[in-house]
Amino acid sequence: MGQLLLMIGLADSVPNAGGQPHPEYPGMVIGADGVARLAHIGSLAFLFNSLLLTLVVGLCILGVSERHRSRKFLAGMGGSWLFMLAVWWMMFSTHQEFLMTGETGYFMGFPVPTAWQMYGTWLGAIPIIVMYSYGFRTFIYTYEDEAEFDALLEQATRNSQQD
Amino acid sequence: MEAYRQEIIVGSVVIYMLFCVATGLWAMRRTHDSSDFFVAGRGLGPIVVALALFSSTLSGFGFVGGPGLVYSIGVSSFWMVVISSTGYAVGFYLVAKRIRMIAELRDCLSLPDVVAARYGSDAVRFLIALTIVLGVMGYLATQILAMAVVMQAILSGTETFANIGLVSCVVISSAVLIFYCVTGGIIASVYTDVVQGFIMMIAGSLILMTAVSVFDGGMQEATAIILTDDSEAIMPFGSAGVMASLGWFFVFGLGLAGQPHLITKMMMNKKMSDNRSILPMSLFGYVMAALLWISIGIVMRAAVIEGVVEPLALPDDAASTFLSIFANPLLAGVVFAGLFAAIMSTSDAFLNIGTAAIIHDIPKALRGRSVDNELFWARVVTVLLAIVAAGFALYSHYADATLVALLGAFGWGTFAASIFPVVAVGLNWQGATVAGAVTAISAALLINFVVQLAGIVLPYGISGPLVAFVTSMILFIGVSLLTKKPELAPDIEKVLRI
Repeated sequence: MGQLLLMIGLADSVPNAGGQPHPEYPGMVIGADGVARLAHIGSLAFLFNSLLLTLVVGLCILGVSERHRSRKFLAGMGGSWLFMLAVWWMMFSTHQEFLMTGETGYFMGFPVPTAWQMYGTWLGAIPIIVMYSYGFRTFIYTYEDEAEFDALLEQATRNSQQD
Repeated sequence: MEAYRQEIIVGSVVIYMLFCVATGLWAMRRTHDSSDFFVAGRGLGPIVVALALFSSTLSGFGFVGGPGLVYSIGVSSFWMVVISSTGYAVGFYLVAKRIRMIAELRDCLSLPDVVAARYGSDAVRFLIALTIVLGVMGYLATQILAMAVVMQAILSGTETFANIGLVSCVVISSAVLIFYCVTGGIIASVYTDVVQGFIMMIAGSLILMTAVSVFDGGMQEATAIILTDDSEAIMPFGSAGVMASLGWFFVFGLGLAGQPHLITKMMMNKKMSDNRSILPMSLFGYVMAALLWISIGIVMRAAVIEGVVEPLALPDDAASTFLSIFANPLLAGVVFAGLFAAIMSTSDAFLNIGTAAIIHDIPKALRGRSVDNELFWARVVTVLLAIVAAGFALYSHYADATLVALLGAFGWGTFAASIFPVVAVGLNWQGATVAGAVTAISAALLINFVVQLAGIVLPYGISGPLVAFVTSMILFIGVSLLTKKPELAPDIEKVLRI
């Protein structure tokens, strides 16, 4: 990801890629030419976020004890990762489509690409959250873990009393 | 009712502040030692922790700066909101369980305590404490200033206080904040957070209902107006562009697990198993409250473009202008109380962790033990910290904004870059070393400082905090791999395996 960031930073620059002042309303910023802004870095940015989503899922797996990373758990995480990537792909591709055609539909108040971003991105992590809540005693903190930790606490109490 | 708009708003804010004072007095009777003062004796229930967690996440920035950002740069700023599910998920998977276990096992009062236990290093403890103190000063100063500015705007609309000065407003708002933080410590802080959280959720949902009724065609008409004016503003990457948006996704998403005022709350729940319900409840609360951020910003941008509302002098006026034009006085009262709630819930969390860093962590790192009579000194330092932050706030307003802007750079992004690798990754990876942690924290502080001081603007809207975050992660992992694998204390090693 560091390398991607470097490549994006060194890519051919586009004037006002980070926006420009609105010609009529002070304080407002416009994005203007969406095609130009993505011309040199579109695919790199797509890859960057794909890796970020992979990192998110990877970190969640890291947070679970090795002995609880069962096939069921990894399958759940894999499914969540695919879901997040699919949402990202839909957002990116519908935006590209809009840039080419200038036309878009609406979903729940927002243009379709933005609806994918707003509802899709937020919902993208929900499967991981559901796994955490419903799988808490299976993957996160099992009754065996609890017993092990209680024993550790007892040991610590005994040690401090001896000291 | 419209004739009494200002009185209703002032009344709502006064009732809210009286509630804070009463909570402080109530919590004082439950605060017997420094453990009660800093971590509520690790005895809080899931609803309290969940509401405290989300209300501390959404500061005054969310209620004032958030709508202003949407007004200014469109959908780009949505990324700070939609990452909440990812951010909370990563935070709970990586931090919630192990920080709670180490806190109980080693009787930790603060995040630097946990870090010192994990790495067996006072150098890492010191650097984390230093980062917290720097960040707290910047955050607190900006929050106190925001609180005073809003209070002045409200009070100056009444006949009695028409000429009230900013200094008086800083004094009044800081006095309430200091009172309940000093008397009740974190217990007062989290219980006020509960009510603050409820107010914010109610405010968010009522504002959404008001916002969708501004245009006959609802939210779709508002977004269509923006689309016609500048399509990029309402497309997924907004006016600020793809890298600014993804940078926020990275820094705000992963970075949530590196915010000391939030992850410290993960040490306070009574039962570990409560985490399973705290996560979804926090997320639900955050989303409800954040509806205000998105809906006001979109509607105000569309309303200005359509000529329904005069162009705003400043983007940050979006929320107050919306409330004065479109909201019922009662709703405006709730939202203004919600605004104070949002600011205070974040400020009290920062006061608490800043005080812990000064009287507990830094002395421990430097001389091996904390100060004597911790509870007394905690109260004294809470007052001093708030006074110094208020002083910074006034100085920045009247004389020179550079200092607070500089300290403000030690905000979310720096916490994310410095603390996330060391805490969130370090609590889950036995290979993490002291050298890796020291290098990561130092690099994060340095990069953020240099980018801020030199005013460096990176291409394509790439932000300094994003560069700092990616760099510190790479350095943390790289240096840890290159240095000798540490020998962990046996109890910590067991915790890292559970």
